[in-house]
Amino acid sequence: MGISSIFDIASSGITAQRLAIEVAGENIANVNTPGYSRQEVIMENRPVGTANGFPLGSGVQIQTVRRSYDGMLQQQIVDGNSSYQQNLARQKALEQIQPSFNELASDGLGKAVDNFFGAWQDLSANPSGSAERQALLSRSQTLVDTFHQMNQSLTTVAKTADNNLVGISAQVTDHAKNLALVNTQILATQAVGGSPNELLDQRDLLLRELSEKVGISATLASDGTASVTLAGGEQLVAGTSYATLYTNQNAALPPTNDIRLSALGNPPAANNPAGDANVTATVGGAGNGLGELGGMLQVRDSIVPGYLSKLDEMASTLVSAVNAQQSAGYGVDATTGNNFFAPAGTGSATIALDPGLTAAKIAAALPTATDPAPTSTGNNVNALKIAALQQNSFAFSTGSATLDGFYSAVVGGVGIDTQGAQNQTAQGASFLKQLNALRSSNSEVSLDEELTNLTKYQRAFQGSAKLINAATEMLDIVLGMVR
Amino acid sequence: MRITPGMTADNAVYNLQQGRSAMETLQEQISSGSMVNRPSDDPLTARQLLDLQEQISAGEQYSSNITKGELLLNVTDTALGGMSELMQQVKKIAGDMVSGTVDATALSGAVGNLTQLKSQLIDLGNTRIGNQYVFAGFSNSQPFDAAGNFSGTDDALNLEIAQGSRVATNVSGGNLLRGGSPPAPVGSGATAGASPVDILGGIDALITALSSNDKAGIADGIKNMKAAGDQIAASQADVAGRLVRMDNMKSMIANNRNTLQSIYGNLQNVDYAKAGVELSQQTTAFSAALSATAKLTQLSLLDYMN
Repeated sequence: MGISSIFDIASSGITAQRLAIEVAGENIANVNTPGYSRQEVIMENRPVGTANGFPLGSGVQIQTVRRSYDGMLQQQIVDGNSSYQQNLARQKALEQIQPSFNELASDGLGKAVDNFFGAWQDLSANPSGSAERQALLSRSQTLVDTFHQMNQSLTTVAKTADNNLVGISAQVTDHAKNLALVNTQILATQAVGGSPNELLDQRDLLLRELSEKVGISATLASDGTASVTLAGGEQLVAGTSYATLYTNQNAALPPTNDIRLSALGNPPAANNPAGDANVTATVGGAGNGLGELGGMLQVRDSIVPGYLSKLDEMASTLVSAVNAQQSAGYGVDATTGNNFFAPAGTGSATIALDPGLTAAKIAAALPTATDPAPTSTGNNVNALKIAALQQNSFAFSTGSATLDGFYSAVVGGVGIDTQGAQNQTAQGASFLKQLNALRSSNSEVSLDEELTNLTKYQRAFQGSAKLINAATEMLDIVLGMVR
Repeated sequence: MRITPGMTADNAVYNLQQGRSAMETLQEQISSGSMVNRPSDDPLTARQLLDLQEQISAGEQYSSNITKGELLLNVTDTALGGMSELMQQVKKIAGDMVSGTVDATALSGAVGNLTQLKSQLIDLGNTRIGNQYVFAGFSNSQPFDAAGNFSGTDDALNLEIAQGSRVATNVSGGNLLRGGSPPAPVGSGATAGASPVDILGGIDALITALSSNDKAGIADGIKNMKAAGDQIAASQADVAGRLVRMDNMKSMIANNRNTLQSIYGNLQNVDYAKAGVELSQQTTAFSAALSATAKLTQLSLLDYMN
C-alpha cells in the first residue's frame, strides 16, 4: 500500500462529504416544501484490504440516501383527512342553514306562526272589524313568505353543495392524473437504477390530497407505485393509468348531478355518461361519511332534505288544520266552505293563501243555536276555534306536538346537528394535527439539524482535503529524496 | 421526540387560533349580552329559551285579549249603571202613584215620564263601542228598535284569557231587558215580580195600568219593577265578577311573565363579571402565547454561525 492509496482514501472522503453536503443542501432548500421527507446520507467504510499485515479500510462510500418515512402514519393521515374534510363540508353547510332557524336572534318562522294565531285572537275580540281582518291577511302573507324564504335558503344550500360536486370531482380527476404520472416517473427512475425519493414524497402528498376530496383506499406496490380505489371498490388509479371522475346532470326534477367514473386509461376514454359507472351512491363511503365529496353529497341528499321535510310537514299540517276549520265557518259575506290556504300548496315551497280569499271571506263565524246561519257579523266562535289550533297537538312524524313545539324541536335539532359537526370537525382537526406532528417529527426538515450536519460534513471535507495536502507533501519529500 | 421548526410553527398557529376563537366567543357574549347566540351554542338551552319566548308571547296575546275584553265589559258596566239609575226612577214614580189619591195630571205626567225612561233604557240597550253593540250578542246591527223589540242574539262573545279559559265579554240584551228571547210573560197577580222579568214589557204594562188607573195593575207593576231592578243589579254583579276575574288573570299573567323572564334571563343573560374575568384570563394567556411564539420563532442556529 503506497502513498497513492492515501489519495484514494482522501478522494473517497471528499466525494462522500460533498454528497452529504448536497443532501443537506437539498434538505435545507426543501424546508418549506409540503410533503417533503428529509433525507439522510448513510455512509459505510469501503472494503478492507491488508497493508503490511494489518487490515485497513480503503476510505468511505455512500451506502444509500435514506428517506425518513413512516408508512403507517401516512395511512392514518389519509383516513383522518377523509373524515375531517367530510365533517368540515357538513359543518360549513349547517352553519349556512342555522341562521334561517336562529329564532333566538331574530324573528323567524316560530314568531310568524305566533303572529298568525295572535291575529285570529285579535279577530275574535272584534269579528266584524275590517282592520283585524286586514291584519290577519297580512300576517298570513308574512307566514307564507317566511315558509318560502326558509325553503329557498335550504334549497340554495343544497344547490351550492350540488354545484361544488363539479369542482371537487374535477380536482379528484386532476390528482388521479398526477398520481398516474408520478407512478410512471417512479417506474422510469427505477428502471435506470435511481432512487425515486422525491417522487415517493410526491406520491404520498397526492394520496393525502386525494383523500381530502374523496374516500380512497391506496395500495402501494413493491415497485413504489400507488393504486387507488374509491369507497365503492372502483379503480381510480391503477399503475400508470387512471379514470376520470365527473359529474353528469340526471333526469330528476330539479336536475342534480350524478357522479360517474370512466374506464381506466392514460388518457382515459372520453366521458360516456350512458356507459360509465354511476358511483353517486357509493363514492362518499358509508352514509356519505368520507371526503369533501361525501360531505357535499350528505348535505344535498340527507341534511337539507331532512330539514325540508320537517318544514313541509309543518306547512301541510297548518294548511289542512286551518282549512278544515275555515271551510266549516262563515265569512261576513255569509259564504261558507271557503279555504284559507290554497289546498294544493301543502309544502314549504308551495304554501299560499287561497286565491279566492278576501278579508270578507275570513270565517270568524260558526252556526250556534241562536245564530243558526251566521249572518251576524259579530259571531266569533270559529275565530276562537282557529286561534285555539295553536295549542292543539298534531300527530307529527316525530310524535304528537303543537306547531310551536314541533318547530322548536326542529330548531333544537339544527342546533344539535351543527354543534355535533363543529365538535367532530374540531376533534378531527386536533387528531390530524397530532398525526401531522408525528409525521413532521419523523420526516420534516429541521434547519438546526441540517446546519449542524452541514458544519459536520464541511469539517470532514476540510479534513479529507488536508489529507491530500499531507499526501502531496509526503510525495514531495519522497520525490526530493530521489532528486 | 424530534421537534422541527415547522412543528413549532404549526403548533403556534393552531394554539393562537384556539386562543383567538376563545376570545371571539367571549367577545360575542359580552357585546351581545347573550350566552346563546345561535342554536348550536347550546341546543338544549336554545330549545328551553324558545319555549320560554313562546310562553311570554302567548301571555302578551292573552294580556292584549284581556285589555280588549275589559274595555267591552267596562262599557257594558257603565250602561248597566245607567239602567240601574233609570230603574230607581221608574220604581219611585210607580211608588208615588200607588200611595193615596192621585189626580189625573199627576198620572199623565207619570206616564210621560215612564215613556221617556223606557226610551232611555232602549238607548242604553243600544250602547256601542266602535262598530260593536255591547248588548247585541253576535249581531252587528242595533239590537233594540224604538218599541223595544230585541233583534240581537243571545250568544256570548267569548274571549280567550288563558289557555282553554274563556270569558264572555258581553251581556245579552234580550235576557237583560226582555227576560229572554222571546220575551218572558209580564207577571201579574201571583206571578208579579217573578224572574226573569221582561223589563221593557213591564214598563209598558205599568204605563197601561197608570193610564187606566188600575190599582192592582200598578201594584203588580211595582213588584215587577223591583224584580227588574234586581235583574239589572244581578247583571252588574255578574259583569263586575268577570272584570275581577280578568283583572286577576292579568296580574297572574304579569307575575308569570316576570317569572318566565327571570328564568329566561338566568339562561340567556351574560354574567358580565364572570365573562370579564374569563376575558382577562384569555387575554393574558393569549399575549403570553404571542410573546412566546415571537421569541421562539426567532431562534435559529444561523444567528450563531459565522
